Amino acid sequence: MLKKIFLPSILLVLAYGFWISPDFKEIAAGVAIFLFGMISLEEGFKAFSGGTLENILQKSTDRLHKSISFGFVATAIMQSSSLVSVLTISFLGAGLIGLTQGVGIILGANIGTTTGAWLMAGFGLKVKISAYAMPMLVFGVILIFQKSKSLKGIGYVLTGLGFLFLGIHYMKEGFEAFKASIDLASLAVDGLKGLFIFIGIGILATVVMQSSHATIVLILAALSVGQITYENALALTIGANIGTTITAVIGSLSSNIDGKRLAGAHFIFNVTTAAIAVLIMDQIMYAVDVISTSIGIAEDNHTLKLAVFDSLFKIMGVVLFIPFIGKLVSFLENTLRSDSSKGDKDIDHALYLNDSVLEIPATAMAALTRETRHLYDNAFEIIAHGLNLHRANIVSTMDLEEVIKVSYSQNAVDIDDFYNRRIKSLYGEIIDFASRAQSEMTPEDIESLYQLKLANRDIVEAVKDTKHLQKNLVKYSTSTNEHIKEQYNTIRIGLAELLRNIDIIGTSDEEDEIILLLSKAKVHTERYDILANGTLDNLIRNGLISNEMGTSLMNDSAYAYDISKKLIAMAESIFIDVDNKMILSDEDVDSILEKKDDQ
Amino acid sequence: MSIAKFIDSVKESLGLDEFKKKGKKKSIKTLLKKLEDRREKIQKALGKKLDKKEKKALSEELDIIALHIKEGEKRLDRFNNR
Repeated sequence: MLKKIFLPSILLVLAYGFWISPDFKEIAAGVAIFLFGMISLEEGFKAFSGGTLENILQKSTDRLHKSISFGFVATAIMQSSSLVSVLTISFLGAGLIGLTQGVGIILGANIGTTTGAWLMAGFGLKVKISAYAMPMLVFGVILIFQKSKSLKGIGYVLTGLGFLFLGIHYMKEGFEAFKASIDLASLAVDGLKGLFIFIGIGILATVVMQSSHATIVLILAALSVGQITYENALALTIGANIGTTITAVIGSLSSNIDGKRLAGAHFIFNVTTAAIAVLIMDQIMYAVDVISTSIGIAEDNHTLKLAVFDSLFKIMGVVLFIPFIGKLVSFLENTLRSDSSKGDKDIDHALYLNDSVLEIPATAMAALTRETRHLYDNAFEIIAHGLNLHRANIVSTMDLEEVIKVSYSQNAVDIDDFYNRRIKSLYGEIIDFASRAQSEMTPEDIESLYQLKLANRDIVEAVKDTKHLQKNLVKYSTSTNEHIKEQYNTIRIGLAELLRNIDIIGTSDEEDEIILLLSKAKVHTERYDILANGTLDNLIRNGLISNEMGTSLMNDSAYAYDISKKLIAMAESIFIDVDNKMILSDEDVDSILEKKDDQ
Repeated sequence: MSIAKFIDSVKESLGLDEFKKKGKKKSIKTLLKKLEDRREKIQKALGKKLDKKEKKALSEELDIIALHIKEGEKRLDRFNNR
């Protein structure tokens, strides 16, 4: 209900304001242009988020101080804490970073936003920055129309900066003209009452504009022309910091659990810091005066003093919070739990796929790759049990001849039940997510996504083939006929070897080892061609197995062959870097097999 | 200066194309180096006294590595000729 009234009310208030005051219209237009600039800037940086940003993020968040520094630097460069938050939520959702690192980045981003105030106070209000805006807009728009992703990105960044500068110019002009007709400073309220009123206005302005950065720039513009008092500006700044968390909390309502936890951390951090700032306001103001004097800021330069206050207030908050980050993370993890009402608890669901990672193609792809591995882990369990083997033995260093001697169960496990619980819904969720992610992707990304979809299909089909294979495998691997038993155990050893190798591949960083193991697997898969290598003929001709056994063996060897082929193709897709796909071709495999036969 | 030229010069000055190409080339070169080291190790191992099964497995590995190295060199050539 409130949501429905909110937007029309804002529009009405604005329309009335424009009608009665052209100066207000100019200020509002400045804010609108500024916000549009921020959207454009975010769009531009997103274009670069396909590789470099992710690499930096992953490498620079392994320690808390690194996470904080990353948040600071990224926000200072991009001038948008909301973009950094979106990226952080995305990475959290994709499982690439943990909540502690995420909170670290948010803390750093909070300090990073202070650079905006410094730039605006030290440069934006003194130099005619609108002069830089026009060329930036022209160059930016030309670049936006280019095909290259990087040039488009540069174009958006330039256009974004151009609009930011233009927005600041209009806000400043608007306030200057406004001053001639109405003096807002006359409405200033002193004391604690004034502090709370202006904190409230700061919160409201930020919630309306969805950007604390824009609020602080607006505060600075008003302060520079004396439309508000220095004390009230400080209160507005505190309000802007609370307001930004409310924006984040509202935004996180539609996000996944990680997004909610991160928004929770942001809220707790900013509100606590604001409360402390209110309690020790006099002391902070005194510290601001001391710092300002020591770095040569004039007593009456309130805009720069506001930048000092903004920095001091935020740095103080981060320093106070650092010792409690661990506790904050545990508190959030315990308080905000993932939705367990997602149907039957026995049914496995996606771990990494959520709307927050859809925002950036690279994280959507990373999440899908991780989810494919999750699907494979489930498939591995089913295939291992279908072969009547223990998973732990397969991934151990135990000799494979020994591995097959230890049965998982006396009876055949119910693969259908396993499939319904561990594969079916998960696979459906992956395919659904992949289809949605596709709309944001470039043709190259879509090609990689297609490969991932194929890998998922291969996993599912390998499970289905295992079901067919299992029927006779359980029967004949314990048969009294040693010959058929040997053949079925050879199949079990072969598939166990493949599963073991895929496990090694999944945990290895050595690319040479990975491609070697996969190529070997490809060569070894050919052993299932029992028609071509004469094994079947030999067994039947010599009366070692019955015709019925022969038919079963022929069919099941084909299933084993298919399972191997599909799992190798899957591993090739999800474990090997595209640039280093040097797995043997079918001709290469033939040449190695021919050489073997000659020996 | 035409727009296309301007864009090319921006690309060139920022090294956008070269950066990507260099990364891929380096990755193939590193992989080739690792494969060559592995080949050397296997060749040394084959000189020692081994049982038939071990010898067969190592020979197979050697054949596979030789094919990988050949493919890697081809790819590197393609990069250099681009």
